[in-house]
Amino acid sequence: MDVKKQIKSILNQAEVYRSQGLLREARDKYIHAGKMIQKHAGLIRNHKSLLISLNKKISAVKIDLRKMEDAPATKEMPESVQQIIKDHFAFSENEETRELAEALALVRFGQYTRALEDLKGLLKNEQVRAEAAKNIIRCQLTLDAVDEAVQQYRGWMKSETFTTEEAQSLRIFFQNLLDKKGGGIILPEVGAETEPEAEDAPLEMASPSEEAVHPEDLLDISSVGIPLSEGASAGRTRECDVCFQAGNMLNLLLSDRETDVLGILEPNSELEPVEFFSPIAMFEGKARVVSKKKLEAGPKKGDFSVDIQIVGLF
Amino acid sequence: MANINLKNKEIEVKVVYYGPGRGGKTTNLEYIFKTFRKQVTGQMVSAKTEGDRTLFFDFLPMGLGKVKGYDVRVQLYTVPGQVKYASTRKMVLKEVDGVVFVADSLEVRREKNMMSLKDLHQNLKEYGLSIFKIPLVLQYNKRDLSEQGIPLLPISRMESDLNRQLRVPSFPGSAIKGEGVGPTLKACLKLTLQSLKKQMGW
Repeated sequence: MDVKKQIKSILNQAEVYRSQGLLREARDKYIHAGKMIQKHAGLIRNHKSLLISLNKKISAVKIDLRKMEDAPATKEMPESVQQIIKDHFAFSENEETRELAEALALVRFGQYTRALEDLKGLLKNEQVRAEAAKNIIRCQLTLDAVDEAVQQYRGWMKSETFTTEEAQSLRIFFQNLLDKKGGGIILPEVGAETEPEAEDAPLEMASPSEEAVHPEDLLDISSVGIPLSEGASAGRTRECDVCFQAGNMLNLLLSDRETDVLGILEPNSELEPVEFFSPIAMFEGKARVVSKKKLEAGPKKGDFSVDIQIVGLF
Repeated sequence: MANINLKNKEIEVKVVYYGPGRGGKTTNLEYIFKTFRKQVTGQMVSAKTEGDRTLFFDFLPMGLGKVKGYDVRVQLYTVPGQVKYASTRKMVLKEVDGVVFVADSLEVRREKNMMSLKDLHQNLKEYGLSIFKIPLVLQYNKRDLSEQGIPLLPISRMESDLNRQLRVPSFPGSAIKGEGVGPTLKACLKLTLQSLKKQMGW
């Protein structure tokens, strides 16, 4: 094929790829065509104007590429999409927790504003209120409404919406998220909010050096491998599926029959080394058990919900 | 497994269109929506980015009539093909009953096809499913572009790249023209219903 035909063919490919939205492929073909034009400039009469036109196209494609790459991973969707998410991605077999599962599905798809509305309605439901509260905080922090989340938390503590155990678990959860976000906000201990002198107390500031693993550094963890140190399975590693992840906080649901691993997962205990599995990588690190709670209702009644926090990676 | 409502005698089957970004998954669903009016039972809903790329999924509900007295409903989904939406892809794949893998016939997309199939394999595995066992059909899309002088992968090469081990039904297609869309869907539904019958012991 002669050079002019080759260039024409490459440009044709670039145009088709661009029209298909295959921007990288289009860019590469434009660049390839440009190099050929430069190499055979003597054979092409209008090579200068062709190169100018090509450069404009390359710039335009690069802008589109950047827009695509910088596009947010999520955005608030119309009601019709949100309803499909609630109807088809909630995966709850239990009617009592169905509404929470629907709200969590919205959270997973980044529909934070709508999820917030639904979650706030669930605070009246004793069975799911603690989980709803954690996710309200999670949504507010994702929406950068830190002050609102702190005020909300203070309000809950004052109104005694939660049991002491729930409030403590909520404080640990919220504090972990705040630590990861930076800014040095330290929440008062549970009970402190009810004391009058603490009402207008300024929030304490932590030193930046206290920050743990940054959530943005973490991939989605699908399971964790916990080495067993006791019983018949000592020396083996038990792989547990991650039920839910918020930054470096992982929630595991474990059957009450899994006594070998449940024995290790006591609140405040350190786990080292722990294997973290994500769809694309496996890495080792250190984790701390934040809470362990027996489920009192629902199809998994009797099982344990365990929150662990990744505190370091090797 | 499909969602079975014994009380209402309804079965909901989930079929997911998987494949690399810009490969034609949404175009397949759009054609089905336009063409299979009798079977389509609702609106096609798309969750897109500003740039018209699939952000979460496309959704299209269909009805297949009755099987053994059960009303069979099919939900067709697409996944976002872009690599960065890996977690969304995995979420959409949850509880899938059948898969249509839409491969891009463009020569320049060869590697993306293989990576996407590998991604499907991995995601299914994480849900305890096997790519070798799940009802799966391949579609080699964009065959029409050869008319415009665009280098395409020969079907034999695509078979060797993608279907050498799987040995599942495969169809050349042009979703934009509607070619191969119906046969692909029908083949996937046939396999999915066969699998369902087996699971139900029918």
